[in-house]
Amino acid sequence: MAEAAPLWAAVVLPFALAAAACCAASVDALLAASARCGPARGARDAVSRAATPLRATVRLFARRPRRTTAADTALTRLGAAVVPVAAVLACAVLPWGFTSVTDPTVGVVWFNAMEALAWAGVWLVGWGPNSTLSMIGGYRFLAQGLAYELPHMFALTTAALGAESLRVGDVVAAQSGLWFVVWMPVAFVVYLLSALGMSFWGPFGHPLGRDIASGVAVELGGVDRLLLLGGRWMLLVTTAGFSVPLFLGGGHGPLLPAWAWTLLKTGAVLALLVTARRVLPTARMDRYLEPAWMVLIPLTLAQALFVAVAVLDR
Amino acid sequence: MVFRFDSMARATYALLLALLCVGVDVLLLGLDYLGVVVVLMMTIEMALMAAFMVMFMMNPAGLAPMSMTHNRRGAALLSAVVFVALAAGALLTPWPSRRGDVPPDPTRQLGRSLMGGQMLTMMVLGLALFATIVASVVLATRRGRYDRFGDDLRGRPAEPAARGGLPR
Amino acid sequence: MGVRSALLRYAARRPTVLAVALPGGTASRLAVEAELCRRGLPAADTPADADLLVVCGVPTHRDLPWLDRLGAAVPSPASRVVVPAAGRAADLLDTATSLLGTAPLAYRPAPSDDGEPETARRGDDRDGLRLDRLRLTLGPALPDWPAGLVLRLTLQGDLVQTAETDTRCAVGRVVLPAGRAPFWDEPALNAASGGSFVTRGQVARRCCAAHLDSAARLLAVTGCDTLAARCRRSRDTVLAGAPSARIVGELRATTRRVARSRTVRRALAGVGPLPRRRARAAGVTGPALVADGDSHDRLLVWMAEVERFGADLDDPRAPETGGGASGPRGVLDPARPPSAALLGVLPGLLAGVDFAAARIIVASLDPDLDELTSSPDRPETPHG
Repeated sequence: MAEAAPLWAAVVLPFALAAAACCAASVDALLAASARCGPARGARDAVSRAATPLRATVRLFARRPRRTTAADTALTRLGAAVVPVAAVLACAVLPWGFTSVTDPTVGVVWFNAMEALAWAGVWLVGWGPNSTLSMIGGYRFLAQGLAYELPHMFALTTAALGAESLRVGDVVAAQSGLWFVVWMPVAFVVYLLSALGMSFWGPFGHPLGRDIASGVAVELGGVDRLLLLGGRWMLLVTTAGFSVPLFLGGGHGPLLPAWAWTLLKTGAVLALLVTARRVLPTARMDRYLEPAWMVLIPLTLAQALFVAVAVLDR
Repeated sequence: MVFRFDSMARATYALLLALLCVGVDVLLLGLDYLGVVVVLMMTIEMALMAAFMVMFMMNPAGLAPMSMTHNRRGAALLSAVVFVALAAGALLTPWPSRRGDVPPDPTRQLGRSLMGGQMLTMMVLGLALFATIVASVVLATRRGRYDRFGDDLRGRPAEPAARGGLPR
Repeated sequence: MGVRSALLRYAARRPTVLAVALPGGTASRLAVEAELCRRGLPAADTPADADLLVVCGVPTHRDLPWLDRLGAAVPSPASRVVVPAAGRAADLLDTATSLLGTAPLAYRPAPSDDGEPETARRGDDRDGLRLDRLRLTLGPALPDWPAGLVLRLTLQGDLVQTAETDTRCAVGRVVLPAGRAPFWDEPALNAASGGSFVTRGQVARRCCAAHLDSAARLLAVTGCDTLAARCRRSRDTVLAGAPSARIVGELRATTRRVARSRTVRRALAGVGPLPRRRARAAGVTGPALVADGDSHDRLLVWMAEVERFGADLDDPRAPETGGGASGPRGVLDPARPPSAALLGVLPGLLAGVDFAAARIIVASLDPDLDELTSSPDRPETPHG
């Protein structure tokens, strides 16, 4: 049972999440620049490369949004705004050490519901501008959702099953001895895959693929674009951060205080995902759906069965 | 609201908004799990429904406006009357005062009172229904195994389906 | 206002650039790409995200309408610049960037594009469902897209029902600015015509770079950004005239990595199969004929040729003059250039595949529209 944070934490949360997203985006920009143009020429160049996300933020604030013919502008904006909002709401149940902004009895389901909201938002952004390429991006995201959502739900269920509770605080408390990642490795790996899928980034960035000229975001300029792409980074940080209380023991760890452990583990997971982006190509759904349903779903089901038997045996 | 809009997407998402409100209602009743699950399921369902809409009518952002309203005046009158009647009922009914206190886990209580001892039966039934849906889709498709390989499954595929991701 | 304009100046120091290549603009496209890399300027995928529209090549009267539409699609504040020749890339980019920082924030209502001109008609899809059809014109400005190519597609969802190449892409309809020859074929054409002395090494160098350029495009469209960037850097090193002994190792490492990558194979296998029989019937020559298979086989042939050419980049001998000149895309027959045959097989390969696969198929054939010019001028020495 986690303790509730003071009220000001709820106000700070969106800003903290945005800052964390900006840091992750900076690291990614550094890696991308050295892949594209070779290693940085000195410290100044490196700083300039790392500042790319900040510069993009300033730039997008100053630009006018674009309008297309017969577009459903209201729906497009709504969809773009839903993505960061859903990320912040999902982050509200994420424990920082052993305190979270709120710890409802169904925190795990709440997290999943917020991810689904982001799902609906991205589809709206693809639909709204009345442009074929962005609609193809929206289609791709739905197909992607069908591919990753079921294994993802089973992975979440497995962690909740191991703790015999849907409350995130209880899931953390259940890992005071042995972390779940040790006896639920399959669920952990599947969770990380679907975290990438959920934030439609990296190997799962097909809905915003270069082949459809950035797909869902093809007609977005200005603040709308900032909301969608920034929200995507916030989602990535949130989903990566949520793997810590679910599988990596939350704030449990020797020597250091709980908050430091959370920070350390979240940073490690994010570093893993951002590096994986450089190695893994973008997955096309016609090639991913089949492995997801034929391999990952049976594997996660077997994992859940194993955990259920182990819990009954306690 | 659903019937006010002239684009499929707007109508679908207005419906989603209404269903999210239902989810919040359930949350206010203290049934946390059910409320959040309503939000989760309805969001995914409506997103899929919107995709089907687009599949069968590709008019992004309602290029060809459509109307979902008929008999406007009658409908307006009827809905006003129904609303007034319901609101009056809600305000004028002498609600009984609460007896007993809130159970520790209202969701479990609700499940027990709805299903009694038949929970397992209903879960198995649900799985059977789902399997039926999948099987009927598989049988209905025109590019199933029997169409491609012949009746004894020993022929060569006439038209190779799109490759999946698994080596075969 | 002081803070705001300072922030804007800070952001404008590194604008996001949308580079569009025109037929005949290959050399300046390569120069612009290298220049963007040198300055670390981010590349935009779409006009909605661009601060700076860079047109690589010399626009002809036919390009002006769509270039205007494209420029109008870039929201303000933004600027446009035309880079006519490779040597001008650096100073023109400087000028454009400096203009961006100081340009007043004039309000210009963001214009709208044409949208879909018609509502869709219905038709059966491959599963027999009656679904709406949508018409889509692809090109001429898309990321990683052959310069000047325009395809007209009929889509259902994201499945391509029918595809045809636009009449602008027929042999003799493509117009190159005077004095331009197809960049990638230049040394081979020169060697064949005997106009100026060309060594075997120069022909090999250009072909090697052409394949690396095509492979980088295919990998980028597939979503393998890291490998694509690697191919591009190798391409630039080869074009910069590095001696063979110094880069042959790097080239071998690159080609081996691409050829051995299991993820690339998984993504490309089975997409756009072109058996040798069909290729020969369509008049296809060069790598696409040799590959005798799908997109991945074509990529492997490119990689094998890169390795082969990489070994004789400095071969000083005169090229063999038997059997006609051969460019990176096949035998350079003036009556039927190799890219015309590639365009000929495209519609058949694109029918019935989904959009992502369609982009992969186009990139794996990578037709070079510069070859379709009406009057192949006597090639001159390249600019810059």
